[in-house]
Amino acid sequence: MSDHLRAILDCAGNERYVLPSGLTVLVRPMPGYAAAHAIVAARFGSIDLHFRLGEEELTLPAGVAHYLEHKMFEDQEGDAFAKFARTGANANAFTSFDRTCYYFTATNAVDESLDVLLEMVTHPYFTDETVAKEQGIIAQEIKMYEDSPDWRLITELCQCLYHAHPIRSDIAGSCESIAQITPEMLYDCCKAFYAPSNLVLAAAGNITSQRVLDACARAGLDKPAAAPAARRLCAEELMTLARTQKTLRMAVAKPCFGIGFKEAPLAPGDGRTEALYDLILCCVSGGMSRLYRRLYDEGLVNPGFGGEVLRVDGCCCILFTGESDTPDTVEQMLLEEIERIRADGVDREIFTLCKNEKYGQLVENLENVEDSASQMADFALMGQTVAQQIEMLAGLTPEDADAALQEILQPGRMARVRILPDGSAAPDQDETD
Amino acid sequence: MERKQLAPGVHLSCDPAEKLNRCRISIHFTFPADRQTATAHALLPLVMERGYAGCPDMTGLTKKLARLYGADLTVDGRPMGANRNLCVSVTGIKNRFALAGEDLSQAYTELVLGVAFHPCMADGAFDQEAVSIEKQMLRQSLEDELNDKRLYCMRQTARAFYGDSPMGIRQEGYLEEVDGLTGADLAAAYETMLRTASMELMVLGCTPDETARIEAAFLEELAKIPRRPVPTAPFLAMPRQTAVHKTECFDMVQAKLCMAFTLGQPMDLADLAAVRLAMALYGGSVTSRLFLNVRERDHLCYYCASSFQSFTGSMTVSSGIEPGDAARAEEAILNELADLCTGPITSQELEDCRRGLIDGLEGVEDSLGSLESWYAMEIIRGGAITTPAQARADLAAVTVDQVRAVLRRFSLSVSYLLTKKEGPYV
Repeated sequence: MSDHLRAILDCAGNERYVLPSGLTVLVRPMPGYAAAHAIVAARFGSIDLHFRLGEEELTLPAGVAHYLEHKMFEDQEGDAFAKFARTGANANAFTSFDRTCYYFTATNAVDESLDVLLEMVTHPYFTDETVAKEQGIIAQEIKMYEDSPDWRLITELCQCLYHAHPIRSDIAGSCESIAQITPEMLYDCCKAFYAPSNLVLAAAGNITSQRVLDACARAGLDKPAAAPAARRLCAEELMTLARTQKTLRMAVAKPCFGIGFKEAPLAPGDGRTEALYDLILCCVSGGMSRLYRRLYDEGLVNPGFGGEVLRVDGCCCILFTGESDTPDTVEQMLLEEIERIRADGVDREIFTLCKNEKYGQLVENLENVEDSASQMADFALMGQTVAQQIEMLAGLTPEDADAALQEILQPGRMARVRILPDGSAAPDQDETD
Repeated sequence: MERKQLAPGVHLSCDPAEKLNRCRISIHFTFPADRQTATAHALLPLVMERGYAGCPDMTGLTKKLARLYGADLTVDGRPMGANRNLCVSVTGIKNRFALAGEDLSQAYTELVLGVAFHPCMADGAFDQEAVSIEKQMLRQSLEDELNDKRLYCMRQTARAFYGDSPMGIRQEGYLEEVDGLTGADLAAAYETMLRTASMELMVLGCTPDETARIEAAFLEELAKIPRRPVPTAPFLAMPRQTAVHKTECFDMVQAKLCMAFTLGQPMDLADLAAVRLAMALYGGSVTSRLFLNVRERDHLCYYCASSFQSFTGSMTVSSGIEPGDAARAEEAILNELADLCTGPITSQELEDCRRGLIDGLEGVEDSLGSLESWYAMEIIRGGAITTPAQARADLAAVTVDQVRAVLRRFSLSVSYLLTKKEGPYV
């Protein structure tokens, strides 16, 4: 092994434990750092709407995971933000399609902050009153996203591409769906998805394994616990599209477009194919690509144009989004470029350079405590390590990309979404003193 | 962080930041904003970022950066009150991670100096094709600013608040001037900046030998410039005024309310610690009154946060609200300020805010970004440079009376509402 590869593997090293409760714990002490970052990731996201809990089959309203995230900060004594304020930690949380994460960064009283974090994810407390009072705030959050053309493009594309997969639902749900959420539903979700064996705790920075394990013991996570009783239920999803196009109007100054391709779902833990798709996207429409340069020079898109792979259980799609006065032209050029690369193969130089960039990104993510802990948690949820990721990246070849391109980005599985200006962009103004 | 003067108006700041995996070399140019060249200075970063004499092609430059394991080259223009800061920077992984043993720091040095001092120019003008393409991009970004309602509302508030003051010169440029810009206009703005701006070379994460090499290469470039540095503009502040309410209507779901307050006189740096604590207490943290009361208790806003701009002695409160709640939200925001000025402040809430700030300051040296941001701001503000440790000590000494004294000086100047077509809110 080269010294350079050893240097990154030294940085990427972490200690890993699976406690008797089932909790996976990952710790990366980072000498010289003042702060520590800890994150608890639950394998429970917005797509978890239909599952079996014991004998019971449950279907939940959209947005329940995100709602739960908000409510996990509360307990009988008040809220966890107030407790974090006593320790000086900076805490927050987020919900994505397939996970919910709670985290803090702190330089002092890290042990106490760990106690707060572990207490809040293991001791839920909901009442009718506390659940009801969150509706106003979350409704505001939903409305904020409704005004975001970038977010609308993604959600509308998912609704076009999928018939039944819960990726169709917005992560936060809708004002109507969250009105149906009850304390009982939230308790069911915790029972089903917040069992320790469904959680990963990752900590990085000015912290040791012993301190993290001690905190787990204080939280009772060193003792056996019931395994999660839930089993995800997925409706069958055909490879056809729910619809091929949709146009909506919003208060935007310029048309926005989204082009989505439905792909075969990837097997759980298949990070290799996802990384390969990322590299293909880089070759098709990344900053080094012929297409990007042409679109940019001709003023057909702005630097916001790009593609992404969206992959969760039972769903994989490739989405291109951007702003353009001439979205039809952009779409045509994109499709032509995909066909050209399908026929000729990916540019070997660009493919190698994209791998270089990904390697640099891995090194970068090991630099600060937040990225370091988040990356550990992400990889653990995928069942991978940084070392495996580097090895896997090194093993990807242009020939792999050429072969994959024979299957993916097929026009027959493509949907388009357009957001057109609604005409209100020329504002009515009013002024008073 | 060590700092030394290299020439009049030119300094080097460096920190080996050994624990970090990456290094960063940046050159900050700070100079007084000028209305005549505002749009040229909005365009300049876009043109400089796409290539330089040693690598004029945009795609070629992107490939060069990818070869350096995805090194990040940025040219950013930022407003600093009545001054402008243009920063050219390259950030990339350290030599020890280079898979083929390349000398990455040398490559970063060539890049940052090339972009800063050798842009693509011929016959006294920037490359016409690059200028033409980037004019199109700048025009689009100005035309599209409405797509991000939050940013648009904040920009419109600033425009109404600063008016024709030098602090109001638009960093993003003026749409009606974009078409008329030429490569020669850009070159003139660039040359003036090279001659007159204060320069700060910041080298973070490099060994002493690498830093010495970078310094020598920088000095070589500096020697070619006929320097006549001009002082930067002092701190300013907008005078107090009767509050103005403005409303713009669009077809939107969530309304945006942005309120601008002035201290009425320029910021005194001696008050900075008290201002930091005052902001955390009023609306800059999750233990603030705006977060706990306006958002969490009254559910009037999804977000509601205050921020302070030291260069302009101003405070902005930005919020996302129900269209029908605008008047109530504004009243609540003003009431929270008044309560802090005259009502009780518990020692617990004050200490919670102080603890959070001090905790955050202890981690400043844990990342390249926060390290550079901290010292760049300290340097550009002028005066003695405060280390994060000194800032923590200053924060520890702030009293509740000092916090109140700061908050009492703010008065509302502009309240700007973006909302549905339902008419104005006052």
